[in-house]
Amino acid sequence: MADNKFAAYICSGCGIGDILDVAKLERVAKVEGKMQIIKTHPFLCNEEGVKMIRDDIANEGVTHVCIAACSRRAKVEAFSFPTVALSRANLREGVIWAVAEGSEHDEVRQEMAEDYVRMSCAEVKKMTVPAGNVKESSSRKILVVGGGMSGMTAAKAAADAGYEVVLVEKTGQLGGFANQMWKRMPFNAPYAEAQPTGAAELAAELSAHPKVKIYLNSTVAETAGAPGRFKVKIAAESGSVSEELCGAIVQASGFTTYPLEKLPELGGGQPNVVDQAGLEALAKAANGGPIKRPDGKEVKSVVFIQCAGQRDDSGTHLPYCSGHCCGTSIKQAMYFKDQNPDIDTVVMYTDLRVPGMGEDFYRSAQRKGVIFTKGKASKVTGGDTCKVEFKDLILDEDTATEADLVVLATGQVPNAGVNLDEWTATVTAAESGDEAAKTKKAELQKISVLNLNYRQGPDMPQLKYGFADSHFICFPYETRRTGIYAAGPMRRPMDMFQAQEDATGAALKAIQAAENAALGRAAHPRAWDLSFPKARLEGCTQCKRCTVECPFGAIDEDEKRFPVFNEERCRRCGTCMGACPVRVISFENYSCDTVGMQVKAVEVPDEDEEKPRILILACENDAYPAIDMAGMQRHTYSAFVRVIPVRCLGSVNTIWITDALNSGYDGVMMMGCQKGENYQCHFVKGSEMAYYRLGKVGDTMKGMGLEPERMQTYEIAITDGARVAKLINDYVAQLNELGPSPMKGFG
Amino acid sequence: MTASIATNPTILVVGGGIAGMTAALEAAECGKQVILAEKSPTLGGRTSMLYRYFPKMCHPTCGLEINLKRIRGNPNVRVMTMTEVAAVSGTRGDYTVTLKIKPRYVNENCTACGDCGKAVTTEVPNTFNYGLDKVKAAYLPHAMAYPQRYVIDPSIVGTADGEAAKAACKYGAVDLAMQEQTVELKVGSIVWATGWRPYDANRIQPYGYDRYQNVITSVEFERLCDPRGPTGGKILRPSDGKEAKNIAFIQCAGSRDENHLRHCSRICCMATLKQTMYVREIDPTAKSTVYYIDIRVIDRLEDFYQDVQKDPNVSFVKSKVARIALNEANGNPILHGVNTEGYHRYANEHDLVVLAIGMEPEVAGVKLPDDIILDSSKFIEGSKSAGMFGAGSAASPLDVNRAVQSATAAALRAVQVIHKTASTEAA
Amino acid sequence: MSEANTQALARYKNNFLKEVEERVEDGQWVKMCMQCGVCAGSCPFGPHWEHSPQKIFMMIRAGKREEVLTSDSMWMCTSCYNCIVRCPRKLPITHIMHGLANYANRLGLVPKGQPTRDIAVLFWKNVVKNGRVNEMTFSLAMYFRDGLGQGIKNAMAMKDIGLGLMKAKRLNPMEIFGGHTCKDKSGLQRMIAKAREIEDKRRGLA
Repeated sequence: MADNKFAAYICSGCGIGDILDVAKLERVAKVEGKMQIIKTHPFLCNEEGVKMIRDDIANEGVTHVCIAACSRRAKVEAFSFPTVALSRANLREGVIWAVAEGSEHDEVRQEMAEDYVRMSCAEVKKMTVPAGNVKESSSRKILVVGGGMSGMTAAKAAADAGYEVVLVEKTGQLGGFANQMWKRMPFNAPYAEAQPTGAAELAAELSAHPKVKIYLNSTVAETAGAPGRFKVKIAAESGSVSEELCGAIVQASGFTTYPLEKLPELGGGQPNVVDQAGLEALAKAANGGPIKRPDGKEVKSVVFIQCAGQRDDSGTHLPYCSGHCCGTSIKQAMYFKDQNPDIDTVVMYTDLRVPGMGEDFYRSAQRKGVIFTKGKASKVTGGDTCKVEFKDLILDEDTATEADLVVLATGQVPNAGVNLDEWTATVTAAESGDEAAKTKKAELQKISVLNLNYRQGPDMPQLKYGFADSHFICFPYETRRTGIYAAGPMRRPMDMFQAQEDATGAALKAIQAAENAALGRAAHPRAWDLSFPKARLEGCTQCKRCTVECPFGAIDEDEKRFPVFNEERCRRCGTCMGACPVRVISFENYSCDTVGMQVKAVEVPDEDEEKPRILILACENDAYPAIDMAGMQRHTYSAFVRVIPVRCLGSVNTIWITDALNSGYDGVMMMGCQKGENYQCHFVKGSEMAYYRLGKVGDTMKGMGLEPERMQTYEIAITDGARVAKLINDYVAQLNELGPSPMKGFG
Repeated sequence: MTASIATNPTILVVGGGIAGMTAALEAAECGKQVILAEKSPTLGGRTSMLYRYFPKMCHPTCGLEINLKRIRGNPNVRVMTMTEVAAVSGTRGDYTVTLKIKPRYVNENCTACGDCGKAVTTEVPNTFNYGLDKVKAAYLPHAMAYPQRYVIDPSIVGTADGEAAKAACKYGAVDLAMQEQTVELKVGSIVWATGWRPYDANRIQPYGYDRYQNVITSVEFERLCDPRGPTGGKILRPSDGKEAKNIAFIQCAGSRDENHLRHCSRICCMATLKQTMYVREIDPTAKSTVYYIDIRVIDRLEDFYQDVQKDPNVSFVKSKVARIALNEANGNPILHGVNTEGYHRYANEHDLVVLAIGMEPEVAGVKLPDDIILDSSKFIEGSKSAGMFGAGSAASPLDVNRAVQSATAAALRAVQVIHKTASTEAA
Repeated sequence: MSEANTQALARYKNNFLKEVEERVEDGQWVKMCMQCGVCAGSCPFGPHWEHSPQKIFMMIRAGKREEVLTSDSMWMCTSCYNCIVRCPRKLPITHIMHGLANYANRLGLVPKGQPTRDIAVLFWKNVVKNGRVNEMTFSLAMYFRDGLGQGIKNAMAMKDIGLGLMKAKRLNPMEIFGGHTCKDKSGLQRMIAKAREIEDKRRGLA
């Protein structure tokens, strides 16, 4: 592109001009960085400084801007020039605040600053402004799968915000589990009485809603495409198939109750022992009159047993707590008390879990005379008179009680579709000819909810215990399938209030995903990023690493087994770029070259200068801010390191490391986030991928005659400002002992 | 055609904690215009003052970094700090809001270079550390403060120290003549994400928070364990700076109590379990004892509880502690009560007591617009005009994850109001 | 077994909680307890009794009628009100304890020789008789409640205090002959009898 014009702007404020030789930095930018315009300003981020840059962009045709000032995390709004490619050389947090004061450090500090200017110039030259990809035909319609309380709420929420909604329900009626319920827990003050569920009213509203199209007795037979262009085949029980083009999906496929038969020790399967769902049915049948057992006898005494088959640490039953069951038992005990205060109702619990305003509901039940016994039931015998043997934990004795009916508070089991780990294993086995696996694959396909035709499997990945929850505390809707959001008890066990809140939030995320897909913008966590990986397929070796390693299932394969990148599913993490052995994948503003050229731009001193060079590749979300904060808090570190932020350690291409080691760097520090079960990576397994790939670099290093210590990987938390400085200094000391890299001079 | 409803497509979000940031960002990333008003000098709220989150033990600032990046990159969000809502009038789709903006005494020229902080000598209590230590009267609230701009404490305005700060700034960023401003604006919908505050522990008399130095609150304990906190991450007890080795955690300190907060604050059980993990991390030999009524950790958080139960250094006593006395000789609090599982009376000496303090709505005692509907604990249920919504822990005592979920839902409700008023007007 | 007790057993069968709710002063509060145990830990008499209030409440709910009504625990209450002040559910625990004691007494279930009960009964009889307390007869009744020999021993042991009180004119030996009474003491006695009748009716004890 002949029209490119490169400019470097150096700020001498905040002490940069006092500590560094800015004239030399200008020279570096000009001579080595080949910048065409070079300007220094004493206060670059103020109005005047920013205007100077804007004017150059407007009047001088500057297309590429390198700003040598503070960290890329500071003054972002001031240095926002959306029409040009922009790089930032971190001279403040990364140099003058990071390197110890004193003239003995002047030389190395200056060298560090000059390298950052070189790197920034090298980077910006390889960048282009992401063009974005507006799609006129993009659909903003929201598909909601599941017509229970969560699905209905999501559908209504999206429709009320002005969006077309398609609602698919597998049964012949909207309402889901709520249809089996007599009443629900209260959502508002005074939290004293059970309330009508409102399911029928909501269903009626939806049926009459001009924006909502409802498919009953239908399931999703196939979901193809990506956000903004999901092609959804909806199969009716009758055999007819309709197709809908949708922008985003809310999956609200609900739960089933844990099977009573699995709890024989608590009377599961015996007469007059029911679960909470069973009790709802009895209450519904009673319709406000006396609640009768299936044998027609009026219930005069009832015992509710909490945590039946839940909170189980033996591995037999559900290990988790379903959260709603204490409140539900309270509500159900009220069914009896409201009808006849003389009915004995006992709730047997170990921890009564009614968080928040649930405490008022608990009190209300106590006022009505519901008895709460802290105890653990060991055996229930069903029959005309049920016997509950239990340990009373307060009175510290083994005892028993009798009742006409026993209600077991069993847990919620999610209907989240196919477990993708199981799927992958089955498919792999089936592909290798295992007949049993082929049968199993067909069975799995039957339980799939979305039937995604994604290469990585037909449903959303599940987090734990079959729930398709987000892994992140701050981002409950951070999904691993872009544009598809889980809502309600398939995401996490929950009560109806939580489910409706959750569904409303999920509807917002779906709307957002559809809107952003239309504008070619990324979804969270790189929200609104317009860059997108481009692949030079002529160089592709069809190794499939990108398709397998993409954490979001964004890449499919075509018939010739080339990767097919689905832009709208992509989260712009760069894991594919890191995976690609032939380096054909790149983003406009982040590529093998933008980083590779920075690595190469660094001046690597000769062996006899005793100035080791260490490359740090730092995850931009945690490690890079931590290094910044080391500077801000003056935890000084060695001036021998050169830090390059990366989108994710998963995006690190091993070529950068081998290039660095080849050109005489003495060591490489890879800084990513915590991996393992409690991983922090917002791109799921970036850190883990890096460890895996670097294991392979180790072999290359051996071949080069390099010590394994020359490459180290670290888990860094964002709070690790002090620690990261120490790690750097320790590593420099370690390398000093090791001596200079034997590769020096060969590069 | 409906009578002309003056509409304003802007959403106001009150409160810049994680719920407020989320509500603002989620609406803004749908393309809506949002004003985010925060009363303190920085966004981040109480979560930024936490050391780690349960159950992943990850750092809240990690999510804050992402959210700040979203805000910096989104032209649809306008952030106003040091700003409080003074009045709201009007109705759904057409509210007039009066905002009061307190002077920061530092303008946007600030580069956060820190020269003003070096120049002043006055120190003020550090609110970021719940007053456990002090900061200079010209300060950056914390390392991740946003806007990344210093604040001058009003106490030094008009003093030599104030002038010193002004003189130290090379960029003309210190403006001691700044005055409180009042601005009025029109918005279509308002999301109240005003958050929570710890209940006043002084009012729980039998626990002697006001009398015994070694009785502290859970929010203070959070700061002690944080390496960025006043003790550099060491659990040093206030009376003598000795490392605490035998720590008691008292649950329901204020919560589930009709003399104090009638609701259950939901987070305290998990917060305490998490804090026992801090204790284990900082000193593997130290002991934690949890005094509780019910352990309320729902869904898969149960795993975390089971993990903690396996730790031989953590024990659980089912008891609401009756009172705390003091061992005058060593400053140790002595807990008196009865373990109700079988009735065992105890008088247990600990070297530090942490009160798992309840969540009170930040707006309790604050005059809100009459339109707003509050529950018996002053959490915001909604509004009569149906255009204002509670979000996060302003709406209910919620953990971070649920607060964000609630804020996302509130964002959609606000978007619906904007949509409805716009379409009504268009009709 | 007293007739009242037999009647109560027949009436409430196994539902002791209901019996307490209907027949014990403030008994309807028992069900509101959430077993936190703050009352148990707050009571200054805690180390001396068998069952704490919270445990008594649980025993009531568990139907342990005889154990509760024959317990000495509620007789230990000195009305310090620590428990009431601290109870997070605002149960009037002190009142319930007195209510239970009173009810146990009505049913004749209090163990023989329960000292608090004995004193209370003596005091009540004494005060109803004349409409005011006669310290002289009350003291002597207490000393001699375990028989003549023990009574003399008790009186001798307390004689210095007695003489001191007489000297200070706080105790009048002449009161032993009946002492002075309130105005219209039979009116008062009728009033008390009527009140009791109403209360018994209300509580189903009549």
